[in-house]
Amino acid sequence: MLNVALAKGRLAESCADIFIKCGIRAEVLKEETRKLVLETPDKLFRFFFVKPADVPTYVEYGIADIGIVGKDTLLEAGADLYEMLDLRFEKCKLCVAGFPDAGEKLRGGHIRVATKYANTAKKLFSSRGEDAEIIKLNGSIELAPLTGLADVIFDIVQSGGTLRANGLVVLEEVFDISARLVANKVSLKTKASEILPLIAEMKKYVGEGR
Amino acid sequence: MAYVKLPEGVRDILPDECEKLDALEEVLRRKFTEAGFRFVRSAGLEYYDTYACIESTVEQTKMFKMTDKDGRLIVLRPDMSLACARIAATKLHEERAKLCYFTQVYDFSASGNSDREVMQAGVEVFGEDGALADAEAVAFAIECLRAAGLRRFIVDIGHVGFYKGLLEGSGLSEGGAEEIRGYINAKDAVNVEFALKKYGVSDKAQAAILALPSLFGGVEVLSEAEKLTDNALARASLSHLQKVYALLKEKGVSEYVSFDLGTVKSLSYYSGMVFTGLAEGVGSAVLSGGRYDGLCAQFGKDLPAVGFAMGLVRVLRALESKGGQA
Repeated sequence: MLNVALAKGRLAESCADIFIKCGIRAEVLKEETRKLVLETPDKLFRFFFVKPADVPTYVEYGIADIGIVGKDTLLEAGADLYEMLDLRFEKCKLCVAGFPDAGEKLRGGHIRVATKYANTAKKLFSSRGEDAEIIKLNGSIELAPLTGLADVIFDIVQSGGTLRANGLVVLEEVFDISARLVANKVSLKTKASEILPLIAEMKKYVGEGR
Repeated sequence: MAYVKLPEGVRDILPDECEKLDALEEVLRRKFTEAGFRFVRSAGLEYYDTYACIESTVEQTKMFKMTDKDGRLIVLRPDMSLACARIAATKLHEERAKLCYFTQVYDFSASGNSDREVMQAGVEVFGEDGALADAEAVAFAIECLRAAGLRRFIVDIGHVGFYKGLLEGSGLSEGGAEEIRGYINAKDAVNVEFALKKYGVSDKAQAAILALPSLFGGVEVLSEAEKLTDNALARASLSHLQKVYALLKEKGVSEYVSFDLGTVKSLSYYSGMVFTGLAEGVGSAVLSGGRYDGLCAQFGKDLPAVGFAMGLVRVLRALESKGGQA
């Protein structure tokens, strides 16, 4: 049996579609339920629903053999695992954004950066030798420059709607983000006969999800 | 009552678990001794400078550092292969040595799925090189894991020379090669491709390096890999692994062996074949080893070396889950 960690929410729905296309009896994922562990009727797959940020953890520890999670979450977690496949859905960009004139600040001096992705931001700015103060927030990141908490934000941007509505602009696109299939480093080898055919099958449908 | 707690990443081992560990050590002690290895115990404290001056897998951030009475920086034993190499090169005045140990090593930065205090059992063979010595090391690793009671495990073999060979003539800087090595180890083909383009690597080298994350599986990956490159070092590495595999087959243990050319351990430390023991039921490696021919020379005596260490707690965990089942 293959254990699969899935991020709760929209990503899980896209995953269900792609699994069903691959011939997995993943209809269970579509049912309205409060169960946290679901098995396919043929007992070949067991799905765990976890918070997105916990998918890398379940996979790194080998509790889940594989998982599906956004690249943004992977960058932030820095977990030791294999990134097997870019599923090319849930696409967005990790960007530095702020008021149009904040671009000046980025070119020298001390800047305050508000973000959910504190580890990724720390790595990014220190790799460029920039003097950045990282302010960790858990939501409504766009509020930080509006209220003066930070000069810029470092966050995912999908349509840019929230930014525009608040007078903010993308100052720099840093990383391309999309959903990735990850695998535990031991499971990939010890359960190769289950995982590799699944990956080969999923490759065919890459990019078709939402 | 904060003083009764322990720092993060370490723990006490209570009698029940201690008995299991002792039993495991007893089995391994017999195996090691029968195979002609001799036990050493290295000093728990060493100079920081030893590790700062030597090309090793021990990074600055991984060491527990303290200041000695004379103001010099000392560290808590971060790695046992290095200690064995130091002993073999500076204290045993022989051309060959087979050393083994049970010890604790300390990793300051460990988090997540790893402990900061790791109980290891390991062996190091100094003074022997070639495919036979490598095959014997792998076969002995398999024998030890079997003796420990594990059944559902594999030993996954790679070779740093293959990647080193592909790098020759690719025009990649050391920094670029190291960045890409990180992506290869994570099988992150997206970033491998992106980085190869960024650094402007030639098309032929690109195709071969890009194939690395998927070059794993049975012995057939070695012949697949051969088609990708004309580089002499890369091809020699592959034919070396073919020889090792043939010897392992002769020894009747090839069912436990798989290959992964995308496992590219530290290029500055490892010099040839590398291998990793993976058991069902534990999410990380139970055993890790490889050939590190350049290390002893840095301690003043050029001795080829190959060895491995197993994590005793992880082996126990594997035994208690699926890995121990027939």
